Amino acid sequence: MRGRSLLWPLAVTLTALVAWEAVVAALRVKTLLLPRPSLVAGVLWGRAPLILEHMWPTFYQIVLGFLLSLVGGVLVAVLLTYSEIVRKGFYPLIVVSQIVPKVAVAPLFVVWFGLGDLSRLLLAFLIAFFPIVINTATGLTSVDDDFVRMARAYMGTRRQIFTKIRLPHAMPLIFGGMKISITLAVIGVVVAEFVAAQRGIGYLIVMANGLLDTPLMMAAIAALSLMGLALYGVVAGLERLVVYWQVRTETPRGGFA
Amino acid sequence: MLDSVVVDGVGKTYAGGVEAIREARFRVAPGEFLSLLGPSGCGKSTLLMMIAGLLAPSRGSIRVDGAEVQGPRRDVGIVFQSPVLLPWRTVLDNVLLPVEMLRLRRTDYERRARDLLSMAKVDDFAAKLPHELSGGMKQRVAICRALVHDPALLLMDEPFNALDAMTRDQMGLELLRIWDVHKKTVVFVTHSIREAVFLSDRVLVMTPRPATIGFETDVKLPRPRTMDMQEADEFNRYVGLLRHSIEAGTRP
Repeated sequence: MRGRSLLWPLAVTLTALVAWEAVVAALRVKTLLLPRPSLVAGVLWGRAPLILEHMWPTFYQIVLGFLLSLVGGVLVAVLLTYSEIVRKGFYPLIVVSQIVPKVAVAPLFVVWFGLGDLSRLLLAFLIAFFPIVINTATGLTSVDDDFVRMARAYMGTRRQIFTKIRLPHAMPLIFGGMKISITLAVIGVVVAEFVAAQRGIGYLIVMANGLLDTPLMMAAIAALSLMGLALYGVVAGLERLVVYWQVRTETPRGGFA
Repeated sequence: MLDSVVVDGVGKTYAGGVEAIREARFRVAPGEFLSLLGPSGCGKSTLLMMIAGLLAPSRGSIRVDGAEVQGPRRDVGIVFQSPVLLPWRTVLDNVLLPVEMLRLRRTDYERRARDLLSMAKVDDFAAKLPHELSGGMKQRVAICRALVHDPALLLMDEPFNALDAMTRDQMGLELLRIWDVHKKTVVFVTHSIREAVFLSDRVLVMTPRPATIGFETDVKLPRPRTMDMQEADEFNRYVGLLRHSIEAGTRP
C-alpha cells in the first residue's frame, strides 16, 4: 500500500523532469537562465564534496534548532496548560509575536548574536517552535472530561493524569506540530545563512548566485530539498512508531466514487 | 451489619443556583444491587458522582463503609456511560490502569485482570487496542477495569446506554453473573424501567429536578434471573408499578 502510494508522485516527478529537459533542449534555453535537470544532476554528483561540506553545518543546525523548538515548545505548552498566569499573560504575547515576520528579524539577530552559529540556531528556534507550542497545548487540553474523571475516580494524581492521559493523548498533535516545525527549521537556518555565514547551503546558494553559476545554485537547492525531505521522513517515520494507535488516512481516498 | 453506602440528606445546588437534588436519603446494604431510576436529567448521575467522591454535595453527607466521602476512594470501582478506554493502551493495560493509578504491584493483579477478561468473554482481545473492539466488548472491558482492584462498591452510570437493545440485555445478564461471583455492592443508575427491575434487589425512583427519592420498591424476583422472567406477570407488575410512580413523580 505504502509502496503504491509513492509510485504516482514519483511518476509525475519523473515526467516533469523529462519534459523540462526536452523543453530546455528544444528551445535552446541558456544554462544561465535555466539549466537542464541532467546538468544539475551532473553538478550535484561532480561537486558533491563541495555541496556536502556546506550541507553539514546546515544539517546539524536544522536538527539542533528543531530539537530546541521541540523541547522548548513542549515546556511552554505544559506551562500554558497548568499555569493561569502564563496562559493569561504570555499566551497572547506568543501569538502576537508570530505576526512579526521572523525572516525580517534575521539581520537583527546577526547584530545581537553575531555571525556565529548562535544567531542561526535562534532564528530556526524562533520560527519552528510556534507550531509545537500550539499543537501541544491543544493536545494537552483537548482531553475528554470523561478520561480525567475516570482517572480521578481511581485516585490518579495530577502527575499521573499528565503522564498517563494528557501527554499520550497529545502525541498525535505534537507530531503534527513536529512535521510543520521541521520544515520551518530548514527555512530558519537557510535564511540566517543568506544574511550572514561563511558556510552552509544558504551561503553556497548566495555565493553561486554571485558567480552566476545557476547550475550550482540549483544543485544546492536540490540538495537542500532532499535533506528537508529526509528530515521530514524521519519525523513521519517516528510518528508511525510512536502514535501506533491512530488509524490514519493520509490522502483523501475515492475522489468522486 | 454496617451499611455499605449511607446517603444522608444529600442535596446539590450548582453555582448559579440550579438545584439539581433537593434531598436524597437512603442506605445500601453490603452485597445489595440497588438501582437509581429516573428520567433523563433528574440528577441521578450527579448523585452517583457524589457517592464516587468526584463531586461534593452541597448539603448532607455520604458515607461509604462507615467513612465520610471526601474524595475518590480506593475501594470503589466505577463504570461510565461511555467505556473511556485509553486508545493507546491494549485491553489488558486498560484494565490494569486503576492498579497503576493506585500504585499497586502490576504483577499481583495481572492474573486477576486476565480472569476478569475471560469471565467477560473478551480474553481473546487482551492484547488488542480498543478500536478493534465492538461497543459491547469495550463496555465489558470497562467493567473489568472497575473490578480489577477488587473494590467493595461498584458504581455504574447508565453503562449500557450506548448499546443496542439485544447487546444490552446480554450485558445485563453477564453483569449479574459477574456480580454473583464477586459479591459487590452495586449502585446502578438507569432510565430503563425494565433494566432496573431485571437487575436489582431494590429500585429507588427519583423525581424530576430538583430531585428527591419519590418511591422505592424491593424486587422480589428469584435469582439467578433469566431472560424468560421478563415475560412473567410478576416482572411486568414491577414494571407497571415503577412506571406509575415515575408518571406520578411530577409530584402531587
